[in-house]
Amino acid sequence: MITLYSVLLTVSVYIFVCFLGKKFSGPFTSPVFLSTAIIIILLLFSNVSYTDYLPAKNIMTYLLGPATVALALPIYKNRDLMIKYMSAALMGLSIGTITTITSAIILAKWLHFSNTIILALTVKSVTVPVATEIGRILKGNISLIAAFVIMTGMIGAMFGPKLLSLLKIHHPFARGLSIGTIAHGIGTAEAVKEGEIQGAVAGAAMGIAAVLTSVIIPYIIPFLI
Amino acid sequence: MLIIIVIYQLGNQIAQFFQLKVPGNVIGIVILFVLLWMGVIKTEQIEMAAGWLLKHLGFFFIPISVGLMTLGDILVNKGLYILFILMVSAFIGLLAAGKATQSVIMKKEKAEVNYHDHAL
Repeated sequence: MITLYSVLLTVSVYIFVCFLGKKFSGPFTSPVFLSTAIIIILLLFSNVSYTDYLPAKNIMTYLLGPATVALALPIYKNRDLMIKYMSAALMGLSIGTITTITSAIILAKWLHFSNTIILALTVKSVTVPVATEIGRILKGNISLIAAFVIMTGMIGAMFGPKLLSLLKIHHPFARGLSIGTIAHGIGTAEAVKEGEIQGAVAGAAMGIAAVLTSVIIPYIIPFLI
Repeated sequence: MLIIIVIYQLGNQIAQFFQLKVPGNVIGIVILFVLLWMGVIKTEQIEMAAGWLLKHLGFFFIPISVGLMTLGDILVNKGLYILFILMVSAFIGLLAAGKATQSVIMKKEKAEVNYHDHAL
C-alpha cells in the first residue's frame, strides 16, 4: 500500500514539475531538484520513512540502467562529430575532472573537514554506480558519497547551462562535454533537453569521466589526504 | 525496449564476470554502440524506446535523490559549507572543461579554414 502510494506520489509530482517547468523555466524548476524537494516534504508530512519508500524506489529505478544504455543511440548518430573532436574532448575531460577534484579538496582542507568528507568529495562528479563502487574500494562512507554525487548533479543541471552561456561557451559539443563531465547522469538528463548533440556528448563524457576518475583516484588520494 | 534491457543485463553480467571497475551500464553503452556500428541492430528498431527513456532520464534519478532525506543530521550541521564547496568546485570544473573543449575546437576549425584558404 505504501509502495503504491510512493510510486503514484513520485510519478504525479514528476508530471506536475515537468508541466511547471514548461511554463516557468529556471534553475529551481529543474525536474530532478524540484521533484525531489517536493517528494521529501510530502513523505515527511505523511510519515513515510525512506525505508518504507525503498521498495517503490527499486521499482522506479529499474529502468535507469536501460535508460543509460539508450545513450548509445545519440552517441552513434553523432559518431563523426565525436571522432572529429576527440582531442578537444579528451582535453576538456581531463582538465575538468582534475580542476573540480582539486578545488573541492583545497576548499575542504581550508575549512578543516575530515578525511571521510574529503574522500567523498573526490568522487562527487562520477555517476552514482561508479562512485559508490570506488567508495567501497577506498572504504569511504557510501551514503555520504551518494549524497555528494546527487547534489553535484543537481547543481550542474540547475546552473550549468546558464553558467556556460554567461561565460560564452556556446558550442554544443563543449556544452555537452562540460555538463556530462561534471554533473554525470543528472546533468546529462538536462543536456538531452537542450539538444541531441549536447545529450550525446554529455552521455559519452559521463562514461569516460567515470573511467578516468576511477583510474586516477587511487593514485592521487595518498598525496592529498 | 526489450533489446535495450537485454543489452543492459548483458553489460552487468560482463562487469561482474570480469570483476571490472566499470559499471554494467557503461559497458552496455559500448555494446549497443558496437552493435549499431556493425549493423546488427538498426537505429529504427530502438529509436522509439530509446527516445522515450532519454526524454525521462531525469525521472529515474528522483527516487535515488529522495535518499538525501536520510542525511538530515550531517546536512543540517555542515550543510552550508558542503554546499559551498560543491557549488564552487562544480562551477570551476564546468568552466574549465567547457573553455578547454571550446578553445581546442575553435583552434581546429580555424586551422581548417586556413588550410582551405591555402588550397584555393
